[in-house]
Amino acid sequence: MRSITPTLLAALLLAPACRDASEPGEEAAFEEPAWRTANPPAVASPAPVLKRLTQSQYKNALVALFGEALVLPTSLEPDQSVDGLLVVGASVTSVSPRGVEQFEEAALDVAEQVTTDPTLRAALIPCAPDGAFDDDCAREVLGALAPRAWRRPLTARELDRLVDLAGVAGATMDDFYVGLSFAVDALLQSPHFLYRIELGEDDPDRPGHRRYSDWEMASRLSFFLWNTLPDAELIAAAEAGELTDDAALAAQVDRMLTDPRVREGVRNFFTELYELYDLDRLSKDPEIFLYMSDEIGPSAKEETLLNIEQVVFEEEGDWRDLMTSERTFIDRTLAAVYNIQAPTAEGFGEVWLDPGDGRRGLLGQVSLLALNAHATSTSVTRRGQFVRETLLCQEIPSPPANVDTSIPEADATAPTMRDRVASHLEDPSCASCHVLTDPIGLGLENYDGLGLWRDTENSVTIDASGDLDGIEFDDAWGLAGALREHPALVPCLVENLYRYANASAFDEGELALVEWHTDGFEVEGHRMLALLRDVAVGPGFRRVGNAPVFGGEVQQ
Amino acid sequence: MKKATSTSTGRVRALLERFSPTWGRYQPLSRRSVLRGLLGGGVVSIGLPPLELFFNTSGTAYACGGAIPKRFGLYYWGNGNLPDNWTPTGEGEDWQLSEQLAGLEPVKDVVTVVSGMMVKIPNIEPHWSGTTGLLCGSEPLLDDPKEPRGPTIDQVIAWELGAATLYRSLQTAPHDCDGVSWNGPYSRNPPEADPYAFYERIFGGTFREPGEEGSVDPTWGLRRSALDAVMDDISALKLQLGAADAARLDQHLTGVREIEQRLATLEEDPPNLESCSKPPELTEDFGDVDGRPLIPERNKAMCDMIAMALACDQTRVFGHYLTDPVDDTLFEGTTGGHHDLTHNEPQPQDEVNDITKQIVGHFATLVDSLRSIPELDGTLLDNCAVLGCSEVSEARTHRLDEMPLLIAGNACGALKSGIHYRSVSQENASKVMLTLIRAMDITAGSYGEDDAYTEEGLSAIET
Repeated sequence: MRSITPTLLAALLLAPACRDASEPGEEAAFEEPAWRTANPPAVASPAPVLKRLTQSQYKNALVALFGEALVLPTSLEPDQSVDGLLVVGASVTSVSPRGVEQFEEAALDVAEQVTTDPTLRAALIPCAPDGAFDDDCAREVLGALAPRAWRRPLTARELDRLVDLAGVAGATMDDFYVGLSFAVDALLQSPHFLYRIELGEDDPDRPGHRRYSDWEMASRLSFFLWNTLPDAELIAAAEAGELTDDAALAAQVDRMLTDPRVREGVRNFFTELYELYDLDRLSKDPEIFLYMSDEIGPSAKEETLLNIEQVVFEEEGDWRDLMTSERTFIDRTLAAVYNIQAPTAEGFGEVWLDPGDGRRGLLGQVSLLALNAHATSTSVTRRGQFVRETLLCQEIPSPPANVDTSIPEADATAPTMRDRVASHLEDPSCASCHVLTDPIGLGLENYDGLGLWRDTENSVTIDASGDLDGIEFDDAWGLAGALREHPALVPCLVENLYRYANASAFDEGELALVEWHTDGFEVEGHRMLALLRDVAVGPGFRRVGNAPVFGGEVQQ
Repeated sequence: MKKATSTSTGRVRALLERFSPTWGRYQPLSRRSVLRGLLGGGVVSIGLPPLELFFNTSGTAYACGGAIPKRFGLYYWGNGNLPDNWTPTGEGEDWQLSEQLAGLEPVKDVVTVVSGMMVKIPNIEPHWSGTTGLLCGSEPLLDDPKEPRGPTIDQVIAWELGAATLYRSLQTAPHDCDGVSWNGPYSRNPPEADPYAFYERIFGGTFREPGEEGSVDPTWGLRRSALDAVMDDISALKLQLGAADAARLDQHLTGVREIEQRLATLEEDPPNLESCSKPPELTEDFGDVDGRPLIPERNKAMCDMIAMALACDQTRVFGHYLTDPVDDTLFEGTTGGHHDLTHNEPQPQDEVNDITKQIVGHFATLVDSLRSIPELDGTLLDNCAVLGCSEVSEARTHRLDEMPLLIAGNACGALKSGIHYRSVSQENASKVMLTLIRAMDITAGSYGEDDAYTEEGLSAIET
């Protein structure tokens, strides 16, 4: 199990090899927000990592480049969650041959749309071509498009090659627009579009160390905060060399945090972290869960995301309130599950939960209750595991392979889940792990496998009392309160956000920096926008280690 | 279990650095060293005879004394079986189907059952030790047990057989699955689960039947020009990266080359394969019913398309995944997800038993699809070896003894067909894998690592 303690920290700060080790005390002056009382700790920066765009980044980028009228590709290489995040998976996995094929199909399809659909074509091509090949017009279009798509200026040779491709194709097909489509096809399949290439540059302020360049910072900021490409203003800031400047960077971050696109960024972070994407293919037995429908998963996902938007943006409140909020946002589908009147005929509306009903907070929402349960029943272990691993960053070991993990069937002597899992908590070989998960899950037993409230199971009143690491609770309502006050809750969120921002697996050498951000988050009243800002302007986001020396064979 | 510890990344990247899958027809001479790296530092060595020994001048493999190639298939399902209801009675050619294998009745003469074998990898991670232990002969990654250390058997074989066909391998599933085909760690080959999309990919658009002429579409050449630019970008970028990321880009580059090669092949006449014809377009609605995927219908449609894809030599290697390890699919007529039932249904687990029987029936469907296509004097199945397997035997306790292993087809006479081989000494399951690799005419010295290592195949099923 991982917990952030000073002792462990000291041990972990022994920097592994192959990293850019800083000496304490040689830090360049870093402009801190006024509330900062301490400089960031010196940590070694990890080496750069090549990141493929996730599916949502890829699609958002296409919309940013070509407009909302684009019909987006649907068949793409699946994202893989590694260390609990898709962006981390995209920094470790390789694209399969099928995935490369899908990228080609998607690029051809998009290229055809944007050169034939009148609206899309008008947005892309400002010039009137003179004949089937018009290098000037092609150069104008590609010279504007490619740097946005690749998030950097093109070399003259790179642009010439795309223009030549458009010219040859235009001449072959005797059509300028068809010709241009093959240049668009090529630039959308290029690794400069499909991957985030952030290699760093020498840092003039810290000789011997590296930082991300202005263009790399533009890309890092926009994918972190908006989950899409940089906009024109961010590109202009990169061109002006402002994103390596403390004050100008902070100003850009402040602008980005007030832009509506930051909602997509925050939604995507929590969608990845809580694995809400799995709600689009929720599997429940409709004979057991009478409220099960194709709509319920997507509706539940939206409910949770609206709650997050409420606390982060509308209230700019303490993020921990997400755990205990008595307000939620539901549509007609969820109103039936919650057994309350739908607040609105169409879409989602605000409702206040009745404290007497017992339901509140994130762990009272259908999304997480249904996801962390079986297809035909609840799962006290999975629900507890979600709290431990995702909300508290505590690792639960796998069960031993060679034991029978079954629990007894419900019968007269063991009518409730609490009775049935008693063996897990009494057998010492099971209890060492299940004692971490099951008491939490038992606190949620008033919610069935889909999230409907129930007072009894097999006609016996459910006892949902327990304690969470020393804080006792009587039921799910109380568990929500105990969770809000859990000392690991906030550090875990900060660690997850830090890993998400850097789109790479967490390097334990950076723990001190995460703790420093955690301190700042607490000073700022746990406001997410303050944390986003703090991370985006922080040294962990701007500095990079040396690239490892190329070790592969040069293939010709 | 979901989260790997943070230090995993460093180790994974070290693994990736060893893993540079630039192989195949473009650099035939480099394959030996690359494979050695892939298969765990030379523990498995695959001797590679010169390419011309494998292929005649038109690039088709010799086998069965003619132009008909050998094919390999992997049929996989999650959560194992119930060994007591699985093992047939009788051995050799004189054996009787067990309760769970009853669905093999129509294909019994062409299926060999191997029972009593054991995966010798330490059983540390429920389901995943068995997955990689069988399919790779090695343990999963310590810190991320859902990832293997090397390629799965289908890809080991595809690296040898895949160069001659349009697709190195094809991966399919009758409903949403992740599949269990890996090129190496963090490099999975995801299956296509939509029958309509699979049809379009293989038989739509540019597909040509034997007898049709090669044609030249000017856009193919332009696509290739675009791909050339992409390959140049990748090659230049690789030089700026560390070895692990360069290896990832190498994978990508290989994928681009394969597209380009396919486009080039389109300009040639399609091979003259008498059993190849374009299958009729699909018309069925494959939507879920009562929250359960229509597995029988979807499986049948997929199996028929796989068979015709082989007959048309679109690929010589396929993986078909009925379900994943730990899969919780709601099967027809059951009251819980499959994995949930394996742990929580009381003995004697009638529902688990029934699910296993359904799964065996779907395997029989695949065998039947392959057998229904004539090839030379026999059927397509005669030129195949299809391995049916799972990651455990009894899922309740994640047993790695009594592994369920089915083999359909005889690989052009390399394998005995229609027998039951029973191991009384819990032999190493890797022996079966090595036999299958060799049955594909691949010279393999060994399979597996540590206790799963073997240099011997299972001679009892070899001819």
